[in-house]
Amino acid sequence: MKKTLSIFILLFVSGLLFLAGCGGDNEETNTDGDDGGSTEETPSSDEPVTLTFYNEDGEDKSFDDPVAEKITEATGVILDIDYPVGGNDETIPLMIASGDYPDLIFAKGDIGMLIDAGGVIKLDEMIEERGDHLKAMYGDQLDRLRNSVDDPNIYNVGTYGVHDEPLETSGTFQIQLDVLRELGHPEITTLEEFEDALTEYTEMYPEINGQKTIPLALQGSDWRWLITVGNPAGFAGGFPDDGQWSVDTNTGETIYKFLEPEYRDYFQWLNGMNVKGLLDPESFTHTQDTYISKISSGRVLAVADQDWNINDARFALIEDDMEERTYAPLPVTLSEDHVHQALKDYGFAGGWGIAISSTSEHPDLAFDFLNWMASEEAQILLNWGIEGEHYEIVDGQRVLFDEVRERMNTDGNFSKETGFGYYIHPFPNWGTGAVDSNGQSITVNTREQVIENQLDVEKEVLAEYDMELWIDWFPPQDELQLSNHGAAYNFSIPAGSDIAIIQQRADDITEQRITQAILADPEDFDDLWNAMLDELETANVEKLNQEMTKLTQNILELWGGEVN
Amino acid sequence: MSKNLLPVTPEVNMPVTPTINQTGKKGKQPKRSPGEKNGWQRLKNQKALLLMSLPFVIWLIVFRYLPVLGWTMAFQDYQPQNSFFEQSWVGLKHFRDLFNEPTFYRALENTIGMGILGLVFGTLAAITFALLLNEMRFTKLKKLTQTISYLPHFVSWVIVANIVTTMLSISGPVNNLLTSIGLVDSPINFMARPGMFWGVVTAAEVWKSTGWNAIIYFAAMAGTDPQLYEAAKVDGASRWRQMWHITLPSIRPVIIVLLILNIGNLINIGFEKQMLLGNNIVSERALVIDLYALNYGIGMFRYSFGTAIGIFKSVISVILIVVANSVAKKVGEGRVF
Repeated sequence: MKKTLSIFILLFVSGLLFLAGCGGDNEETNTDGDDGGSTEETPSSDEPVTLTFYNEDGEDKSFDDPVAEKITEATGVILDIDYPVGGNDETIPLMIASGDYPDLIFAKGDIGMLIDAGGVIKLDEMIEERGDHLKAMYGDQLDRLRNSVDDPNIYNVGTYGVHDEPLETSGTFQIQLDVLRELGHPEITTLEEFEDALTEYTEMYPEINGQKTIPLALQGSDWRWLITVGNPAGFAGGFPDDGQWSVDTNTGETIYKFLEPEYRDYFQWLNGMNVKGLLDPESFTHTQDTYISKISSGRVLAVADQDWNINDARFALIEDDMEERTYAPLPVTLSEDHVHQALKDYGFAGGWGIAISSTSEHPDLAFDFLNWMASEEAQILLNWGIEGEHYEIVDGQRVLFDEVRERMNTDGNFSKETGFGYYIHPFPNWGTGAVDSNGQSITVNTREQVIENQLDVEKEVLAEYDMELWIDWFPPQDELQLSNHGAAYNFSIPAGSDIAIIQQRADDITEQRITQAILADPEDFDDLWNAMLDELETANVEKLNQEMTKLTQNILELWGGEVN
Repeated sequence: MSKNLLPVTPEVNMPVTPTINQTGKKGKQPKRSPGEKNGWQRLKNQKALLLMSLPFVIWLIVFRYLPVLGWTMAFQDYQPQNSFFEQSWVGLKHFRDLFNEPTFYRALENTIGMGILGLVFGTLAAITFALLLNEMRFTKLKKLTQTISYLPHFVSWVIVANIVTTMLSISGPVNNLLTSIGLVDSPINFMARPGMFWGVVTAAEVWKSTGWNAIIYFAAMAGTDPQLYEAAKVDGASRWRQMWHITLPSIRPVIIVLLILNIGNLINIGFEKQMLLGNNIVSERALVIDLYALNYGIGMFRYSFGTAIGIFKSVISVILIVVANSVAKKVGEGRVF
């Protein structure tokens, strides 16, 4: 008895000691790391240093592909990439609460919180002193990286391409190539023509591959409501994409976008589509997986979605020899009077980017890494891959190997497996319009390349329309006014501010009420819509508009005239 | 330290068994034990027991009581980068904000609504299932049924939510069944009816947890004195009568204790099911307090506001459990404390 008891007590005491030891240890190792880190890192540059990197757009990926190895070779940096799990938007707040920051942070719109919490450092001086590549890249648009009028410092770099000339659109209505083909290549630019085309084709083919034809499917059951329900309404109404806002880029006047009458008209049309049975009745209840599997089966005639959201389905369709069931973007608006803004030039959008944390042990190295990523050498590596492996130089021009192009277009995992094109976003990067010192395009998406990437069916259909690219269908960029404020979704909204709270409330209201209105009896639509407007008013949307207007005007002031 | 602890008297008596009373919980040491003059003496006698419980007491203090200090956040405009002494104190501001927020009342209504439904149907289903299982004669089949029935407990809510949405989709099995037997003319879009959402959540919850929750009732039933059944049989009681007059009364204390504990947790129903099963159409019925705290509290960096919600929840829980316990005490049933 005595013996067992003593053993018990011994165990317990040693347990306590162990716990106590752990507690002390932590601090010790921390300081150890501090000292060791700084002395070790500077002299020996041949030993790669691991930098932790939180990428809000990231996924499970290790930094060991061929392109990553080249990056490590040039910079001595290995990235340890962390990513949010399941669209988790609490990661940054939790990071701040714990004070445990990775070295590099891509926080998207949450950068404001990090700045408030002192979690990230100012980059102005470093850019001035040794950020040559960054300076060369951003040029006179460097001001667009600044934080705010009150705090005009630069905290992050990257994300958006500098000097973009869109060669492809995304986020508008898209229709199956086969519909265009079967209907004799009609001109489709209004909702009415769009609806007629869907009706006609559905009557011709009530079933596709033995399953019921779905004329139009949306994915409005989760956050994707924003990109498949909210944003397409804006495009149809002739608005550029400003997130949840409608902005007058000259005066800075900003309002919550669902207050615009065009949105009402669009959703009334969608309500009609639902009544006529042209809208998938499960559009607001099915999961993303179901949605993708429906599209992959080839029986969804039209979607209103971002390309990246339905990429999996596109690859599946090509895999199953149903290339004619892939989609063509449509410049559809409410009526002839509305101008589609898909090709609008937002300028370098600023706002989002990669920041260096204040707790990083290697801030200089981290900055040099980001600076190097902006260099021409790096940009060619990131965009074109490795010479001899992904591309070759023919007559002084970079040309992708055929199998690389093939895999790029058909294999969804290609980029992730080989690193080819994987590290462009969200690092500082050149846009589609940029050229290197030899005058060659820095991105692989040149006009010629895009044409080469098209599927055969796509080319046939385009030829019938006398077009080379789908963007030729849309009002050209030079007819659209350049955005002086960038894009409103890039504004960093102060955390926990009235704007953030009221907007969350307003978004909750609109997502729910608009969905209900779409699915309602057409007679009730007006009442439901007006009830929603009342609810928004009660939620103080007026104040929201005022505050946002102020924010836009600040941006206009901060970027003042430096727009090109 | 160990030096002081090592010399333990061999006379230490270990009064383990008598501390378990009828309801199966740990009770106080009976006062009448001989040879004890005062409390101190008794403490000394139980030195070993006290020592053994020490780690758990420490655990309780560190993980359950120390965090309560964080409640001070609710009375500050908390900024994580500032130290405790640099925070600005704002009194009850966050509570006022909370109680002025109409969305919060909707969340409260949904939480309590789904909590009560889950409690009532969850308990009823578990007891009924345990009763039926108890009546089964074939031991092997009984074991198999039990094993299968508690498997869903181990399935993650993410998967359960997917199963449920697929089953209830317009072209799903449930609608196929309903239309083929002619119960409905056109398929019902279950997931798009706000009025049905509580029901869907409760049904999913019952499906997932019945087997698991039945285990404890089933175990309690196994402890029933077989003589009672024999006597009843002699008196000519049918199996229904035996269930009603013997099995159920014998597990009554267990039912009451579990009910009281569950009532205390009425407001802590979590948010996974609602978040995973909900969509934009039913969101006004799916918003629960935890989800509200997530979206409007920590997700927006409003730690103080989130903490205020947490305090509110704790207070409600304590009130509920005290009320439930005193009701049980009044009607003379088993209770928790």
